[in-house]
Amino acid sequence: MNGQARALIESMPNDIGTEAVAPLSFDEAFTLHHRAVFRTARAVVRDSALAEDVTQEVFLRLYRNLHATPGEDLLRAWLLRVTLNVARNTLRGQNRSMVRDNEYQKTWTENGSVAAEAPAEDYERRMAIEEARRALDKIKEPMRSCLLLKQQGLSYREIAISLSLKETNIGSLVARGRKEFARVYGKIGGRR
Amino acid sequence: MTRCLDEATLQSYFDGELSAQLMERASSHLAGCVTCAAAAREIAEETALLTSALEAEFEVSVPTQAVRERIDAAVLGVRVANVERTEKAGFFAAFANVFSFNSQRNLGYASLVVVLAFGAILGIVKYRQAKVTPQTTNHTDNIQAAAPSDLNKSKTVEVADNRNQSVVPDRRPVVPQQVKYSPRPATSKVVPVKNDTLRLLPGERSYLQAIARLDTTINSNKKAMRPSLQVEYERNLAVVDRAIAATRNAAKSNPNDPDAADFMFAAYQSKVDLLNTIADARLSGGRSH
Repeated sequence: MNGQARALIESMPNDIGTEAVAPLSFDEAFTLHHRAVFRTARAVVRDSALAEDVTQEVFLRLYRNLHATPGEDLLRAWLLRVTLNVARNTLRGQNRSMVRDNEYQKTWTENGSVAAEAPAEDYERRMAIEEARRALDKIKEPMRSCLLLKQQGLSYREIAISLSLKETNIGSLVARGRKEFARVYGKIGGRR
Repeated sequence: MTRCLDEATLQSYFDGELSAQLMERASSHLAGCVTCAAAAREIAEETALLTSALEAEFEVSVPTQAVRERIDAAVLGVRVANVERTEKAGFFAAFANVFSFNSQRNLGYASLVVVLAFGAILGIVKYRQAKVTPQTTNHTDNIQAAAPSDLNKSKTVEVADNRNQSVVPDRRPVVPQQVKYSPRPATSKVVPVKNDTLRLLPGERSYLQAIARLDTTINSNKKAMRPSLQVEYERNLAVVDRAIAATRNAAKSNPNDPDAADFMFAAYQSKVDLLNTIADARLSGGRSH
């Protein structure tokens, strides 16, 4: 298939993400992994709108590199690796803005995307998120990222691929990160 | 009892990342090791703490629909950009295809190269011919223009040769038709005798004709002349010729001097007289033989 034929096929409407990509299509990849991408991005940039930007950029890169992405078993690791890079680059150009995040959450809620929460619950939840983030901020890399990825259910192998580390070191990094988080989180006033 | 499990192995055991053999070995060790069992419980507690601490972070609802719409729009934008780039590239690709080679195009390009090569050669030949033709015409004109002068020159040389030959004892008669005679006034510039162009002085022509006739007569019977007479004749003739040359140079140097012309004519007359004498002597001698 030459370039013109490929461009013609790609220009066809209503087929976004339906191209067969071995072994996982773009649509399947989005359905399976967009949550992990968004959550990881949000954990890094601490902003839902920025996390959407990061998620969009990550899946655009997936779309542009469908032919070069790894197979299904390692696709999540590849996506989260890209997510961490894009999120860190985004963070360098952005100041954390809780105000903006609050406005985003407000708009998002008003649009009906999320069920309305009681004000007290919303406050407790945001406080819990802030305490956890403050504790994570005290943990050095790559242990912090190891914890984030581990809590999302990634295997040691996936974590190693996502962070460009040796798989044999992941157990030690997770253990050290977990202990450090417990120590810091207890000092901050977490639930220990 | 096996050795206690290190921190990384215990964490891997807890996360289910060990191999089946190691998992079994760690499990059996934990069953009998209080220290490692306590460490395992600590891992479980801290992991539970971590999970609960990050629960709020990860429980934030993911805006799947909004993200999907944004991504679809972005992907569509990428496709439009790709199509536009392809269309732009198509314009240049039309030219790029010209330079792509296959067997049929190779033949076509080879033919084109041959035609261009012949065209270039013919062009060069035509150009050179165009440059050469005017020169040829000029050359012809030069030849035509030079022809009369060359003819005159050849005549002049011939006359000069005759003049030189006239000094030689075995002289041939001067051919009057080859002598370019142009009567000029006495004031006109007289060219020396030995010059390429022979210019006769007034009155000189009749003497030369007479000398030529006598020379012809004498040479016709030359074989009959006696050697003693022949030697004397040659000696006297040389003296007369020298006298003619001297007086002629004087006459040319002084064209306004009538005496100079008279001396020259006198010298010519002496030669005529000598030739007549010789002719008479040969005629008489021939008869005597």
